[in-house]
Amino acid sequence: MSEKIVEHELTWHTSYWPLIGSVGVLFLAPLAFAFYFVYKMPMMSIISLGIGAPLTIISIAGWVKEGIEDEHGYSEGHSVWAMPIFIVAEATLFVGFFAAYWALRLTAPVWPPAGTPHEMPFAIPLIMTAILLSSSVTIHMAEKHLEEETGNKGGFLKWLIITIILGAAFLSLSAYEWSELMHEGFNIKTNIYSSVFFPLTGFHGSHVLVGIAMFVCILIPALAGKISEPFVKSASIYWHFVDIVWLFVVSQVYFW
Amino acid sequence: MSVASQALTAQSKFSLKEWIFTTDHKRVAILYLIGSFAAFFVAGIMAMLMRTELATVGPTITSNPTNYNVWLYFHGAAMILGYQIPSLTGFFANYYVPLMIGAKDVAFPRLNALSVWLYWMGIVLALLTFVIPDPPDIMWTGYPPYSIITPGNTAFYTFTVLLIGFSSIAGGVNFLTTIIRMRAPGITWNKLNIFIWCTMAAFVMQVIFVPILGTAVTLLSFDKYLGTHFFDANAGGTPLIYENLFWFYSHPAVYVILLPGVGLIYEIVATFARNRVFNYKGVVYGGIWGTVLLSGVVWGHHIYVSAIPSWLALIITFTTLLISIPVGLLVIGIVGTLYKGSIEFKTPMLYAVGFMFLFLIGGLTGIPNAMSAIYIHIHGTQWITGHFHYVMAVSVTTAIIGGTYYVWPKMTGKMYNETLGKLGFWLFFIGVNITFSLTMWLGYKGWPRRYYDYSQFPQFQGTQQIITAGSYIIFLGALVTLITWIHSLIWGEKAPQNPWGSKSLEWTHAPTPPPPGNYPEPLKLSEDWHPYGYGK
Amino acid sequence: MGRKNFLKRLFYLLFATVILSASMVYANGIKIEMTGTPAEGWEHLWRELMIDITVIGVVFAAVTIYLLITNRRKRPGDEGQGPKLSPLAAFGWVVIPIFVFMADDIYLAAESFELWGNYRNVPANALVINVEGYMWGWDVKYPEKIIITNELRVPAGRPIHIKLTSRDVVHSFFIPDFHVKWDAVKGRENYLWFYPKQVEAGEHVMTCTEFCGMLHSSMFGKVIVMPENEFNKWIEDNKPKGGNV
Ligand code: HEA
Ligand code: HEA
Ligand code: CUA
Ligand SMILES: [Cu+2]
Repeated sequence: MSEKIVEHELTWHTSYWPLIGSVGVLFLAPLAFAFYFVYKMPMMSIISLGIGAPLTIISIAGWVKEGIEDEHGYSEGHSVWAMPIFIVAEATLFVGFFAAYWALRLTAPVWPPAGTPHEMPFAIPLIMTAILLSSSVTIHMAEKHLEEETGNKGGFLKWLIITIILGAAFLSLSAYEWSELMHEGFNIKTNIYSSVFFPLTGFHGSHVLVGIAMFVCILIPALAGKISEPFVKSASIYWHFVDIVWLFVVSQVYFW
Repeated sequence: MSVASQALTAQSKFSLKEWIFTTDHKRVAILYLIGSFAAFFVAGIMAMLMRTELATVGPTITSNPTNYNVWLYFHGAAMILGYQIPSLTGFFANYYVPLMIGAKDVAFPRLNALSVWLYWMGIVLALLTFVIPDPPDIMWTGYPPYSIITPGNTAFYTFTVLLIGFSSIAGGVNFLTTIIRMRAPGITWNKLNIFIWCTMAAFVMQVIFVPILGTAVTLLSFDKYLGTHFFDANAGGTPLIYENLFWFYSHPAVYVILLPGVGLIYEIVATFARNRVFNYKGVVYGGIWGTVLLSGVVWGHHIYVSAIPSWLALIITFTTLLISIPVGLLVIGIVGTLYKGSIEFKTPMLYAVGFMFLFLIGGLTGIPNAMSAIYIHIHGTQWITGHFHYVMAVSVTTAIIGGTYYVWPKMTGKMYNETLGKLGFWLFFIGVNITFSLTMWLGYKGWPRRYYDYSQFPQFQGTQQIITAGSYIIFLGALVTLITWIHSLIWGEKAPQNPWGSKSLEWTHAPTPPPPGNYPEPLKLSEDWHPYGYGK
Repeated sequence: MGRKNFLKRLFYLLFATVILSASMVYANGIKIEMTGTPAEGWEHLWRELMIDITVIGVVFAAVTIYLLITNRRKRPGDEGQGPKLSPLAAFGWVVIPIFVFMADDIYLAAESFELWGNYRNVPANALVINVEGYMWGWDVKYPEKIIITNELRVPAGRPIHIKLTSRDVVHSFFIPDFHVKWDAVKGRENYLWFYPKQVEAGEHVMTCTEFCGMLHSSMFGKVIVMPENEFNKWIEDNKPKGGNV
């Protein structure tokens, strides 16, 4: 045993994915954005996306594979400690957004400002709330099944897939609602309310997307029988957080 | 030990693959080191260009003010985001934290590698400033509406901040988890090195405040490129939102820079005075965490005259002045550690002594800034430039260079030349005092910041030239330091295991340089072990 | 070092704190009344402040130098013999500095508040002038509908109330000689006031201190302080003649 550890530590560990992912992100976000919006070169922007997206995806896939197989022996269940710390950062990100929102709103002479549709959507956000809340329950169910003595993998997979579907439904409804609003002439440029509305809901939506991506990264290896429990647990903590943030978004941006 | 030497001989051949794809904290640290000193060098060259331009009234080396503005933008942004924060929370944190707490690596080695490479992508993006058309010219503060209406490429500013910011948050998550979870048995909270506490404090602030900066710069690009109206007075927005969000991060950021710097000074002083840290608990719980506690409630002292309400200005004046208390405790701790010490003035200690004086000047000149009424005159003048160069640029650079000298034998396995090291210090020390004391003086006389030209103040030209001369001396000092290091890498003698006689874990227990996995044998620490357990 | 010794020291330190705080409060009480202009108040407080921080700096530097000199390593193997503080002493070394520093902080904050009040309360008899910043210059507008650029003419011996706005980005209006400055922000009306004295008749610099683009450093002009009668004459001469208002 100790022999094995010593041999192990004789080598410098390496992983391809961090560097590849970073280069991917560089092309995917800053360069593609700047080509399109700053230098008005759509073609270059597409090329940049074409370089960045595959690199990023390959890196994520390779990373997940390495993580699940744990060839380095890194995994010691630290991620359930790390996720709450990360969530603090995420929370203050939203705090910044909300602070900007309330600063605008409380100093505005009239609210909502001119240009806002008389009837903001009412039913859809309620449905979306219901969907997201129930997805928190379903991911909890999935976890429960995993924790069972025997580790009920079938149950786990079932509830995980339901959660993914609920998340996707949430995003579709959000997209539908956006397109409706834009048809009515309410878009990101309309006024200070729309300036907040689209970035904030979009921003939250991107978190839902990240959550779904995490679940997919759990699902695929799980189908092959590989499950990392701490990873599932952290993803689920993250998902609950995204859920709670939505309650703030929906109450303050739609209904307040 | 034999295992270690085996490891070393096995690993002494250079392999590029093992460097750029590394997940080992010591190598990640060195990648940070290279990146941050590269940023220091390029941003320093920008400073030299600026100083040369200011040597005469009117155009000196460029007749286009935008060139000057781009240099200044790059200088400020790269010095803070590219050099100091990554050097302290990237290089030193990576090198020291696992070693000092007796761990084999950080909690998430791959995430660590991602941090360093995202940071490098930020550097690449920043360096593109020099080749793209319409480079950013918006100063490191990026205030709207100017940053929105300028033809300059504000998007690169936003993304540089976001990349390096994300790298920082990942680092924060990683290191906080590491420190909480991976301390070797026997290393309790009250036996942590001061540097570890400082790093923790710095990362707590990064995790809480970086996202606020992220929000601010994201909204900036939204306004500029997607047409939102957050900072647009015509549509009911206001630039004050940006100013508040920006400083809500950027004030704590100065303590993200200061605290690890102070932590390094503590390590150096304790080691070279062979003395226990004076009032350890007071320093940790009062000094370090007191600073963290106050860091979030003083942001307004950067915007007293930007029309924040008077009552807020008054509160902020008071809270800002209160910062002198925890910082004062940190200073007392350093000075107290000299008491009954056994001091040896090797190069790292020389830098630490330099720090004590430079920081005193820098910190005390922050007091006038803090007082809203006094601020009215000195805000936006070179007095401020003088203040923050003393307290940040110069003090923390002495901490960084001194700290680098201090780890040098451990990291490279080589000793350096003391005479050259000391020469570098004295040139640097003399240069910065000439440059930044006179800068401050001119600010008091009313010379504003960010001026390409000063034809309204022709009487200042003579002083400007002395300042410029001083900055050349600084450059020379840095150059000598660089030469010392290169000299050591090539001709340096082999370093012993513990050249300084330190009691800290990384010197007493880890081989020099440490192999993969750091500690070949499981650590066994006696009951009364302490990193500063001198003179029992 | 014994426990008793420490208690004794603690007592001395406490005593010193009380004396120090008391003398600061006393100094605050006898301070000359700040009835002057903000600029005079500023200069007075600045001087006081420089003395304050110089004293603190010199005390700390002197102690540091003393300790550096007296505690050099005598023999290679020597180790330091720094004191192991008792809980009480450790507590004292935190609480006493807190009190001393806090005394200074409260004193400085109080001074600052008072002067700030002076800066922000414009005397009722002030002459109102509008100043608008733009990239890159200052438009000065008098109530008599005179508009001039980069030249602010004011009468000596009267408080001047400047109302500040901006046409585009943020600028900051600064007259070093009168120690006044405030930001000019689009969509808001900010203000400041100053008091040019008779002896200050002549030209002063006014300039921009918030980065506003390429010609930020060229955004300056003159403040011309004139005797009251000359100023009135200037207004009369430059007033738009009736009819074409
Ligand atoms: C490492 C970086 C660093 C650090 C540590 C500090 C420390 C402090 N800074 Fe500084 N500051 C900057 C970096 C830093 N600053 C930068 C970069 C800017 C400009 C940004 C820009 O606009 O571009 C700036 C600007 C700045 C301003 C705004 C000025 C302006 O924009 O016009 C103010 C105002 O209050 C201020 C105050 C202070 C104070 C009160 C401290 C205190 O923390 C200092 C405390 C230390 C001491 C007081 C000395 C030691 C204590 C004792 C010896 C105890 C006894 C002392 C007393 C009782 C007084 N700083
Ligand atoms: C860490 C921060 C940092 C550091 C180290 C410095 C270092 C220096 N700064 Fe910087 N400065 C800022 C942060 C910093 N500055 C910021 C934030 C601003 C405000 C920006 C803004 O307004 O937006 C500013 C603004 C600023 C101005 C104001 C310009 C203006 O308002 O118009 C000036 C002018 O003199 C100046 C000068 C200098 C000089 C001469 C140095 C010198 O000390 C530099 C010396 C260093 C070198 C010349 C590099 C040499 C290196 C080598 C030879 C390699 C050696 C390598 C190793 C030792 C590893 N700086
Ligand atoms: Cu206007 Cu600078
Ligand atoms: Cu600050």
